[in-house]
Amino acid sequence: MKRTLLVLMLLAGMAQFPVQAAALAEEPYREYDVMEDYVPHVSGDMRLSGSYKYWKDPKNLDWRLAGNPDDNWKLNWKFMDPPFNTSVHGGHFAVDRGDTIFHELNKTGRFAACLGAKKGSLKGLRARYPMHRADLKRVAGLEEVIERCAAKEGRVLQNGSYDNSAVSIYVASMSAGIPININVISPGPLKAAYERGRKLFHTRAGRFNLACSSCHAHQIGLHLRGNVVTTPYGDVAHFPVYRTRYQLQSLHLRFAECNLDTRTQPLLPGSRPYTDLEVFLTGLTNGYPVSVPSERD
Amino acid sequence: MRTGTIFLCLTAFVAHAALTRAALASDFPADFAANPAAVNMTQAPKVVVNSGRLEWTPFNRDLTHWPSLSYDDKRPTLKPRKVMLSEPLNGDPARGRALALARDKGYCIVCHEMPGEDWPGTVGALLLHFKKNNYPNEQVFQQIFDARAFNPNSVMPPFGTFGILDEQEIRDLVAYLQSLD
Repeated sequence: MKRTLLVLMLLAGMAQFPVQAAALAEEPYREYDVMEDYVPHVSGDMRLSGSYKYWKDPKNLDWRLAGNPDDNWKLNWKFMDPPFNTSVHGGHFAVDRGDTIFHELNKTGRFAACLGAKKGSLKGLRARYPMHRADLKRVAGLEEVIERCAAKEGRVLQNGSYDNSAVSIYVASMSAGIPININVISPGPLKAAYERGRKLFHTRAGRFNLACSSCHAHQIGLHLRGNVVTTPYGDVAHFPVYRTRYQLQSLHLRFAECNLDTRTQPLLPGSRPYTDLEVFLTGLTNGYPVSVPSERD
Repeated sequence: MRTGTIFLCLTAFVAHAALTRAALASDFPADFAANPAAVNMTQAPKVVVNSGRLEWTPFNRDLTHWPSLSYDDKRPTLKPRKVMLSEPLNGDPARGRALALARDKGYCIVCHEMPGEDWPGTVGALLLHFKKNNYPNEQVFQQIFDARAFNPNSVMPPFGTFGILDEQEIRDLVAYLQSLD
C-alpha cells in the first residue's frame, strides 16, 4: 500500500515537472532585480530609506522640512494629508459628492453590504482593502468593487471615473485615522497577490527599460530633474487623491501616470497587474492611518 | 567596416520593431489602455468631474511597441548588447549638447548634472569636467549605447539597443562629453 502511494506520488511529481518546464520556456526574457528585503509594515521603511522617522506621526510633522523642496521627500509629502493639512481643497468636494452618490445607491442597505460593510457600518472598511472577494473569486481593490456593486444598483461608476473615486474617498473618510491592515503574511490569495506585486515592482518595462524599483527602491532622496524620489512605504493611505494639476486620481490611474511618465504602455484600472501592485504597496502601508481627503501637486 | 556592422544591426532592429508591431495588432493584451484603431494607440485617462464614466485621450507617443507590465504581454526585453566603436569619432559636440537636453532624445539632465543648465538630476554620475576622467571614446559610446554591458543592474536606459538614439547621435554625445573641460 505504502509502495503504491510512493509510486503514485513519484508519477505525480514526474507529470508536474514537464508542465513547469513548459511554463518556464514560455516566459519571455525580462530583467528583474531581486530584492526581497521588504517588511509588510510601514515601519519597514527604516530598512529602505529611513525617512519613516520624519513622517510616522502625521499630527506632528516638522514645518521646516515641509517648507523646503529638498526635504519634502523626507516627509513623504504627508504634510499635504489631514490632520496636518487643514486647507479646503478639491478632495473635500469629492467627499461631498461621494456622500450624495453613496446614499442614493444605499437606500436599501444592499450597496454597503455589497462593499463588505459589517452591520451597515463603513468604519474600518477602507483599511481592509484590497481583499479577496468570494463573488469575484480573486483579490480586488475598493474602486473595482464600487464599480461592480454600483452596477447591481443600476448605476455606471467606471473604475477611475470621478464619481467612482468620489464614492471611494467618501468610504475611506469613514475610516480616516484607522491604520491600514491587510494580511499578506498568511498563505492565501492576498499573499500571492503581494508576491506578484513585489515582483512587478522590480520588473523592467517600457521604452527606457525602467522598473518602479529603478527609482523608488534604489534612488530614494535623489533628484530627477525637479522631483525628488520618495519611498514606496506608506504611500497608498491617501488615495484617491486630489491632484492640483490633474483631478481626483485613483491609485490605478496614478499607476497609469507613472507608466506614461516612464514611457511604458499603461494598463486599464482594475487590471490584474495594477491590482497586484496595489496589494504590494498596501502591504507596505500596513500600520499607517487612512489619510483622506488629501491633495498632492 | 565596423560602422557598417552597426548600421546593419540597427536596420535589423528597426525591422524587428516593425514586425513586433504587426504581430501585436492581432494579439493585443486585453488590459492595454490603448485604441487599436488610432495612429498612436496608447491612450491616457481623462477624469471628468461629476461623471461616472472615465474618458480617454490619445497620448502623444505610441508606447505599445515596448514590453509592458501586462501578464499577457509575452514580448521579451531586448537583451544587453556589446558594440564596437570605429574611430575616428566624427561627432559634433554642439549637436551632442542639443541631444543631451532634448526631451525626446538623450535628456541626460534628468539624471546627470551638466554645465549650464538648472535643476539637474543627481541620480547619475556628474558630467561636469567629464574630460578629466580620460575615459576612452569606446567606453563612453558603449555606456550610452547599452550600459547593461558594464553593469546588468544599471538603471541607465539602453539608448542604442532600444533605438532611442542612432549611432551618429551617440557619436555626437560622446564628442560633447569629451569636450567638457
